[in-house]
Amino acid sequence: MKEARLAIKIFKTLFQDCIQYPNRFIVDTIGILARCGILLILYSYVFKLRDGVINNTTFLFVAWSIFFYFSFSILKLRDISKEIMQDVQKGNIEILFSKPIFYLSYRIWWQIGLGIYSFVIITLSMIIALIFIIGLPPTMTIGIFIPTLILTFLCGIILSLFLYTIIGLLSFWIEDINPIFWIVDKTVMILGGSYLPIALFPTFMFKIALWSPFGASQFVTHTVYETWQTNWYQLIEIQLFWIVLLGLVVYFIFKKAKQKISVNGG
Amino acid sequence: MNPNSIIVSNLSKKFSFPVKNPSVGWVKNLFFPETKKIVAVNDISFSVKHGERIAFIGPNGAGKSTTIKMLTGILFPTFGKINILGFDPTKNRKKLAYQIGTVFGQRSQLLPNLPLTDSLEFFGVMYDMPEKEIKKRIAELVKLFDLSSFIAQPVRKLSLGQRMRAEVAASLIHKPKIIFLDEPTIGLDVVAKKMLRDLLLKINKEENTTIFLTSHDVGDIESLCNRTIVINHGVIIKDLPTKNLTKTFIYEKYIDLVALSNFTIFPKLPEGITYSSKDKNKITVVVDINKINVQESLKKLLDLFEVKDIDVYNADLETVIRHIYERSSTSN
Repeated sequence: MKEARLAIKIFKTLFQDCIQYPNRFIVDTIGILARCGILLILYSYVFKLRDGVINNTTFLFVAWSIFFYFSFSILKLRDISKEIMQDVQKGNIEILFSKPIFYLSYRIWWQIGLGIYSFVIITLSMIIALIFIIGLPPTMTIGIFIPTLILTFLCGIILSLFLYTIIGLLSFWIEDINPIFWIVDKTVMILGGSYLPIALFPTFMFKIALWSPFGASQFVTHTVYETWQTNWYQLIEIQLFWIVLLGLVVYFIFKKAKQKISVNGG
Repeated sequence: MNPNSIIVSNLSKKFSFPVKNPSVGWVKNLFFPETKKIVAVNDISFSVKHGERIAFIGPNGAGKSTTIKMLTGILFPTFGKINILGFDPTKNRKKLAYQIGTVFGQRSQLLPNLPLTDSLEFFGVMYDMPEKEIKKRIAELVKLFDLSSFIAQPVRKLSLGQRMRAEVAASLIHKPKIIFLDEPTIGLDVVAKKMLRDLLLKINKEENTTIFLTSHDVGDIESLCNRTIVINHGVIIKDLPTKNLTKTFIYEKYIDLVALSNFTIFPKLPEGITYSSKDKNKITVVVDINKINVQESLKKLLDLFEVKDIDVYNADLETVIRHIYERSSTSN
C-alpha cells in the first residue's frame, strides 16, 4: 500500500515537472518521431525496390514492428543505469539511503514516471497516424493480440529495468559504467530490431535475439508477426525465465553493493 | 525508558580502494590492483541523551561524516555496535529512517524544479504520513521556519539561506526524534547562519529533538551545542561540555596593552611571551601559561612598557579548537 502510494506520488510529481518544462517534452517527441519516421520512410523505399516483399514479410508488418520498438524506447528505461551511476558518483545515494524507502524500487518507479507521459502521448498519436497512413496488419486484429501485447510489454519493462539496473549497480565497483552500458545498449538495440526488423534477421541472429535477455526485453517487436499467434506463450516463458534470473542477480548484487557505498566525506 | 538516543560502542570503519602502481603493466593494474586501506573511524565509543545538542567536530578527513553516515545506516561499519533509538542501523535502516532526519549541507534533497510545498508533500508521502497530517505538519513548519514568502517558488530559485531552511524543514516533516546535520551552515552568510541556528534551537526546545551536528563553523558549536565531541584521525580526542572547551584548553592568555602615549620601541619579550600584534597605540601579546603565569607576565610587561590600560582575556573558541587539532596531529 505504501509502495503504491509512493509510486503514484512519484508519477504525480513527475507529471507536474513535465508540465513545468513543456519544451523538453516537445523536443523529445520531435526527436523520436523524426528517428522513427526516417527509418519507416527508408524501409518503405527498400520494400518497394523488392516488390513489396522481403523474407516473406511486407512493409506493413515491419513498420508496426519498428513502431513498437520506438514506442517501448520512449519509456527510457535504459536510463536507470545512468541514474544509479550518478547517484553513486555524485553521492546523492546517501540522501536516498537516509529515507525509509527501498532504493531500487524508488529508482524504478522514478524511471517509469520519467517516460510514462511521453510514452502515452507519442504512442497514441503514432498509432492513430500509422492506422491512417499504412493500416493495420491482420495479426493485430485477432482476439489474443491485445492481451498478449500487454503481457509481453509488461514483461519487457521488468526485464529491461533489471538488465539496466545490473549495469547501473556495477558503478558501486567501477567508476564509469558507460563502456559496459554502451555495449549492452547497442546489443539490445540490434537484437530488439531497432536497426533491422527482426523479421529480416538471419537465422543465427534470430536465435540469439530469441534466447538472450537482450532480445527478450524487446519481444514486443515480435507481436505483429504471424508466428506470434502460435509462439507467444513460449516467448513469454523465455521472458519470465530471464526476469526470475536477472531479478535474483539484481537482489544479490544490490545486497553486496550496499556494503560498498562510499561517498565523499565518508 | 532508555535515556540515551544514541549509543556507539567500539565503532570502526575501514575503506580500501585500488591504487595504480606505475611500475607494473595496465593488465595487472586492471585485474590485480594494489589496494590501499584507510582507517576512517577507529574504535570510537560515546552515547548521546535524548534532547542533547552535540557538536561532532574535527578537521577535514577526521572521520566526522563517516561516523554520521554509519549512524544513519548509509555506511556499514567494519566493526563495532550502534544503537540509535533502539535500532541497529545496519539491520533496521528503514525503520530507523522514520525516527531520524538528515541534512547534508552540500547536497540537496529537494525537488529542484517544483515549488517547495511539493517537496514537503513528497517527503510526507515517503514517510507514509496521512494526507491530513502532512498538510498540518507543513503548516506548522511554514510558521516555524517562516517559509510562507517562498513556499510557492521553485526550489532552484531560492537563495542558499532559504534553501537550507527548506532542507531542514523537509528533514523535520515526520517529526524525527534525532536530526543529523552534516555542515548545515556551509556557504551561508552570517544572517542566514544565525537564523538557522535559532531555528534548530527552537525545534530542540519545542520538540525535544536531539541535534547531532558536524561543522567547521565555531559559531554553530558555540551558539547551538551544549556538548562537543572532537574527533581526529578517526579517534575521539575530547568529549566535554562546550562551555568547558575554552576553560579546559587554555594554554594561552592574550594581553592587550594600550599605550600611555605611543609605543616607539618593541623590545625582546621574556620567554613564554610573544607579540601577536604591534602597533604604536596598542600591543597584543600571547602568554604561554605553561611557561610563565599571568601575574609574572604582567609584572615583566609593565617593566617594559608604559601603559594606560590592560586587558587580559582567553583565546577564542576557534583558536582553542585549532590548538586541539594541532596537538592531536603532532601526537599521532
